[in-house]
Amino acid sequence: MTLAATSQWWHLHTDNACAVLSLSGHWRLANMAAIDTALGGLACKTPLKLDGSTLDSIDSAGALLLLQALQTRGIALHSVQVEQFAADHKRIVDGVRSRMLEQQNPAPSTSRPWPLRQLATLGRELEEAAGLLHGHLNFLGATLIAFLQLLRHPGRLRHRELTVQFGQICLSALPVVALVTMLIGVTVAYLLGLQAEKYGANIFVIDGVGIGMTREFSPIIVATIVAGRSGAAFTAHLGAMRLTEEIDAIRTLGLSPMQVLVIPRVLALVLALPLLVFVGDVMGIFGAMLVADPLLGLTPATVLNRLHTSLDLGHFWIGFAKAPAFALFIAIIGCRMGMTVERDTRAVGMATTSTVVQGIVSVILLDAAFAIVLQAMGV
Amino acid sequence: MDKQAAVVAVENIHTQFGKQSVHKGISFELGKGSLTAIIGGSGTGKSVLLREIVGLQRPDSGNIRVLGTDIWTDTEASVSAVKKRFGMMFQDGALFSALTVKQNVLVPLVEHAAVPPALLDPLVNLRLSQAGLSVDVGLKMPSQLSGGMRKRAALARALALEPETLFLDEPTSGLDPTTARSFDKLVRSLVDDLGISVLVVTHDLDTLLTVVDRIIVLADGKMLADGPVEDIVKLDHPWIKSYFAIRTMTESANGS
Repeated sequence: MTLAATSQWWHLHTDNACAVLSLSGHWRLANMAAIDTALGGLACKTPLKLDGSTLDSIDSAGALLLLQALQTRGIALHSVQVEQFAADHKRIVDGVRSRMLEQQNPAPSTSRPWPLRQLATLGRELEEAAGLLHGHLNFLGATLIAFLQLLRHPGRLRHRELTVQFGQICLSALPVVALVTMLIGVTVAYLLGLQAEKYGANIFVIDGVGIGMTREFSPIIVATIVAGRSGAAFTAHLGAMRLTEEIDAIRTLGLSPMQVLVIPRVLALVLALPLLVFVGDVMGIFGAMLVADPLLGLTPATVLNRLHTSLDLGHFWIGFAKAPAFALFIAIIGCRMGMTVERDTRAVGMATTSTVVQGIVSVILLDAAFAIVLQAMGV
Repeated sequence: MDKQAAVVAVENIHTQFGKQSVHKGISFELGKGSLTAIIGGSGTGKSVLLREIVGLQRPDSGNIRVLGTDIWTDTEASVSAVKKRFGMMFQDGALFSALTVKQNVLVPLVEHAAVPPALLDPLVNLRLSQAGLSVDVGLKMPSQLSGGMRKRAALARALALEPETLFLDEPTSGLDPTTARSFDKLVRSLVDDLGISVLVVTHDLDTLLTVVDRIIVLADGKMLADGPVEDIVKLDHPWIKSYFAIRTMTESANGS
């Protein structure tokens, strides 16, 4: 014999050896927290009847809350009788009950113990990185083959796409490249000038700026800007095209996405980057010239004269020659990340971020490799 | 019908895109617990009307009341309160691609409802099951789902807060006939079992002829017809006749 228990939401009493749970109020989603607290004091047993004669309304969330509470108290849901409910309320309770009965909870995922799980994560990441590198190499190969095909049939070159890309990569990047490299020139000249002045070696600042800008700073800075601008643009654009199945459409029209999309971009970037590096060289030296006069007392004429006599053209050519190599890496990474992006919006954003990071890291790695090899060659 | 009692009341809506007039005075009311469809040719502003009703696009003039609240002129607080009382399912699902299906359904629950933490999981499972999905689908990402499952997942999210009204934009477009029919049944059961009022924009003749209570036909920026399905089918208007002609032809071919 259970004692009668009650709350604002429910009332439990016994009728003919059968527990009766009367519900009242609005058993709705908005009141779930209050009802849940009130249900804490409920203790009941089978056989159980639900009485809805004083119930104002119930929705499926409320029904779930009720049945869940009964289930956790060890009451078999199918044995619960639902009585004196309004027809629509009974339908909701019965609907939720049948869904709960048919629903099998998924087996909890088994997780590995501590060191194994971390090891597995590390392994997966390494595998992913290796896969990425392998994919890039593959793509580089495919691009080279497409390029060789283009050499055999030069008519297949997409002039329009090439020109458009060249314009976007080169011309629109000119202002930012010019500004940044000029400021680098100013900074380098200023820092070198502070040191050189102590020894009265003002004129050697020109040598330093000349070699530094043409051989290292300009290629690296310009390549970084282009990796951020154009590499990201390649991935975002090609990724969006993949999302909308435009790339598949190109394939089914009997065209090669390599020829239509990739080759013009790679070619445009490889052609544009050396030109931008040249602009960077000029602007860097111009920047140095700006501070040389007031800071070091070197007139523009002196600066240019000194450059002519002291700057070995080899340095300029090395910097100039690094640019196409950087460009190839940036373009291959940018295009490949876009062409292979997974088909959802989030993936495009992630691939674009990844392109910028990969582009900048690969430019710096490549530059370091150049430095070591050229050192060994004694250039 | 009493203005306050109507689930949706649209009053003299005018919408203009540049020089093109999309709606030239549209008015109708939806009663509780019914399944109403808006049909019309391409460019007649069906989806625009739906977007105006749910508060995504402002009509040039006219009033729209949803569950007694004017979506465009009432205070922000009351509009956002009423937004918790209706659900919207977009044509392509509009599931958040960064979240799993389960997390998608959880978004409105966590943001707007004080659900005891222990009940969140069972409640999400209930919503998935109400939308006709099995529990393990909840762990998948939207990109891993087929078109039909994506629509069901979107429906589960729209149902999360136990809405009184549901707006569906082309719920069966892009689904195969079998999946589309079971989706129709699902929507009908939401109306019958949970008492939800549903407004659907659709092109699907089977949906119109099997589960819909009432059809509103839009043409040339006006309401061409409004009434129960049986009456609309019989109307003598060239566009409506050609719209339903395909079905009549198939049925006569079948000898029924």
